[in-house]
Amino acid sequence: MSHYEVKAGPEAFLPPAAATMGNILPDPGEAHIGGKIVPEEEAYEHAARKILGAKVPTIFPGPLVLWKWNDHVAAKAKAIRELANEVPMRLIPMADYRPKYPKIDAAVEINPNHPNLTIWHNKIDVCIFIGVHCHQANLALKMIRASTNCYTMAMCAMAGHEDACLSFRDADLEKIQRLTAAVKKLKAEGVEVQANSFTQFQMDRSGFVVEPVN
Amino acid sequence: MNKQVDLKGKRVIASKHVKLGQKNRKGQTYTDVNDIFYKAEQTPNFLTGSEVIKEAIRRASVGTSVAYPITPQSEAAALIGELYAEDYLDEYFRGESEFAVMGQCAGASFGGHRVFTTTAGPGTLRAMENFPMWAGSRLPIQVCVTCRGINSPLSIQPDTLEMHYLLETGMLVWHAETAQDLYDYILKGFIVAEQPDVHVPIAVCCDGFFVTHTKDTVDLSPEELCLTPYNPYESPVTCMDMEIAPYRMMRDPFVMKSNYINYSTHASWQQEIKAAVERSRKHTIALLDGLIDEHNSDREILIVTSGTAVSQSREAIRLLEEEGIKVGLVKIKTVRPFPYEEIKRATKHAKHIFVPEFNVAGWMAREIKSTIPDNERVYCGPHVAGGMTMPSEVIVEEIKTHLGIKTAQNSR
Amino acid sequence: MSKEKIQICEDLADIMPPEYHKLVESATFGNQDRGWKDIGSSTELIEQHSLCAGCPESIAFRYILASLPAPEDTVFVGSTGCTSLVFPHVAVHNIHSLFGNQNAIASGLKRTLKSRFPDVEKDVVVLAGDGATVDIGLDMTMQSWFRQEKFTTICFDNELYANTGGQESGLMQKGFVAKMAPKGKNFEKVRLPEIAREAGCAYVALLTVSKPNRVEQVIKNAVLIAREVGPTFVQLYTPCILEIGKQSMEGLDEMKDSESIGGRFVQKEYISDEAQKLLDSIKIETKERKKAAKEAAKKPVNA
Repeated sequence: MSHYEVKAGPEAFLPPAAATMGNILPDPGEAHIGGKIVPEEEAYEHAARKILGAKVPTIFPGPLVLWKWNDHVAAKAKAIRELANEVPMRLIPMADYRPKYPKIDAAVEINPNHPNLTIWHNKIDVCIFIGVHCHQANLALKMIRASTNCYTMAMCAMAGHEDACLSFRDADLEKIQRLTAAVKKLKAEGVEVQANSFTQFQMDRSGFVVEPVN
Repeated sequence: MNKQVDLKGKRVIASKHVKLGQKNRKGQTYTDVNDIFYKAEQTPNFLTGSEVIKEAIRRASVGTSVAYPITPQSEAAALIGELYAEDYLDEYFRGESEFAVMGQCAGASFGGHRVFTTTAGPGTLRAMENFPMWAGSRLPIQVCVTCRGINSPLSIQPDTLEMHYLLETGMLVWHAETAQDLYDYILKGFIVAEQPDVHVPIAVCCDGFFVTHTKDTVDLSPEELCLTPYNPYESPVTCMDMEIAPYRMMRDPFVMKSNYINYSTHASWQQEIKAAVERSRKHTIALLDGLIDEHNSDREILIVTSGTAVSQSREAIRLLEEEGIKVGLVKIKTVRPFPYEEIKRATKHAKHIFVPEFNVAGWMAREIKSTIPDNERVYCGPHVAGGMTMPSEVIVEEIKTHLGIKTAQNSR
Repeated sequence: MSKEKIQICEDLADIMPPEYHKLVESATFGNQDRGWKDIGSSTELIEQHSLCAGCPESIAFRYILASLPAPEDTVFVGSTGCTSLVFPHVAVHNIHSLFGNQNAIASGLKRTLKSRFPDVEKDVVVLAGDGATVDIGLDMTMQSWFRQEKFTTICFDNELYANTGGQESGLMQKGFVAKMAPKGKNFEKVRLPEIAREAGCAYVALLTVSKPNRVEQVIKNAVLIAREVGPTFVQLYTPCILEIGKQSMEGLDEMKDSESIGGRFVQKEYISDEAQKLLDSIKIETKERKKAAKEAAKKPVNA
């Protein structure tokens, strides 16, 4: 039986959805790497190695963690920040899903209708989605696989994503923290961060407080 | 492609719902679907298919149901109204046409309710524009389709042609053979369709009159147990209630090619709907015990079909057996997702595959032909349509004629 | 949704683009006295859009969004057409499903929100063009009124199908030569306000969008009456300057001409007795609330 391996692209003009190639989602306690179901524990280390080995590792936080729409998300947002600081990784938000008019600023935002623009602009080689609604995440993950060489990961609060190169499921606060711990552990073991130095941009209502420097 | 998911022994993760174990306003206990079917005692009842639909909905924790009269689903739709009057549902009303009804169902689903409706034949076709919209919008609405004829001249009689029109809508399409199937599929259908990785609409189809208007013995789960309610925030998309981010949110914006959209956005969206249907396999296999049922499928002569054509085939197989002709049976339970791998495997040893159908098109035979190697093995028939019955003797006759076995009729 | 919930998580706030900061800090969510005068001084709920320069529909959109009594608890239902180019950029949840089924969607939605949130007023507002409201969707428009569905229907009447390139519509004037009416439209403009009244709307208004204060009042009336009494309908003339051969700056004049004596859009309102009673009581309440607020402001802070 052929196994469809979900790996970094660029894959095709229109790659198939991994689910239609027979890839199935992990059960609770599991994750998938490249479409292969693995124990969740294995995925933490794999993800941490990918992050540490990347030149431009980036977190894409989605609306579900950017907006304080319930009491739990503030803690998640804090954990995401801690993960970003630990590596360090860039943070680029997906604030909503609309086809933004007239255009996005690819340096500081990502949009599920053309996620490749942000990947290309920032030369992102490893990314992780957290807090994006599954439907929009799958669209974005597939488009990234189609036309970029970015390795994609998903920290999904529900059933996970076959269209990512690596996916967790049922991701709660603790799982984000465990990924941070996995990064810490590898660093302590001597794995060196390969990331290019950068300055995380900061914005307020009047624009940049700190401009992004790559 | 379409690797078979084998998860026997694994339970569908139906619910980690906060309301599990709590009682609703009718005193029913919100219960995991596995426990409803596999732990609780099932009691036999002698009911019509329409009454079975009512009993399933009584236990389904439905928020909204919208009704419109069309034979043969009118009785079921009206019986759900009785449930509403008894306070089992939050909302129920009669819409003005099937097109409007499916829109009203969509509105209720966008707002976060579990939604159920019924339709048939011409109603299915009048509603048709809504079905791909439901799927594209990831609305896990359940419509029970009580199949009847659709073409001119008008017929209210059973005919499964309308199911063919549903195949590429992006919905799950399940086909009940009996009233028991109908009961099981309605309740289990909600759970599968609402899984966050699936979250697409489901059409639970049955053959009008043959199933809806005849009485049959059906094992029902206890009335005191009901499904856990739908959780609109356990969803791959934003619930349209202004209670969840993002707020600048349209469902669904036009993602046609333009200067601020990737060329493949729309195509990726469509692929995602197909993917969602594929993902349902895992949950469906666990809950329905597979997408097909097999009886002696290692035989050289097989009947592969769905719906009441399966029941007629069982009797035909018995008649053939009396004459020493051994025939196996494959019952297809889900038409979308289609059990490609299962059918390929089940028909591996078959030399002759017969596909009896209650429609003039023979769409099920085409689906099977497109699935298996050496598809000249597939014999498209027998067919009846427009409300004809399919006597088991007709199936026997056609099988024998095709195999070159003389019968009183074919040697006349 | 309370206004307090429309907030950004503090730990990630500094990566959010400016428009989201502005939306949280200076939009008028939760302000009981919000209205068209907030335009220009607070963050509007509509972001940049792609309508034609000078399109009266775009200004109508801004007035309506500024006038909603509670945008933090409002869900819009739109339909296919020029409005659907704007809706993705509006900061309230909104639904597009099919062309013409907007009042059916809204019926299911309103009932569901009522049942899920019995203690919160969730307003549902339909906003669609004249083709969607009167032609392809008339059955569903009227049936929702017959059924007394408690939501507001707003029709942007530009007297033709604008998005598809200027074809005849039911609300077009008689005699107008348009695509698909090559010899001129041969029947009268459909009298939708009268139809709405007879179909059971508790409040009906017909006007142009030339005067923002009038639009504000009408929208507030319509939404508040829909909460308490029954269906409401507002028909707004938003001429398609492109298709009637006008320049970008001529939209306002076109509206003013059409609302002058003898014009097609002289403002008119039908208000049922029950709706009028509600409006009167709201007027008194508002007056008292404002008076109390004024007096509270007068009192020394440390008293």
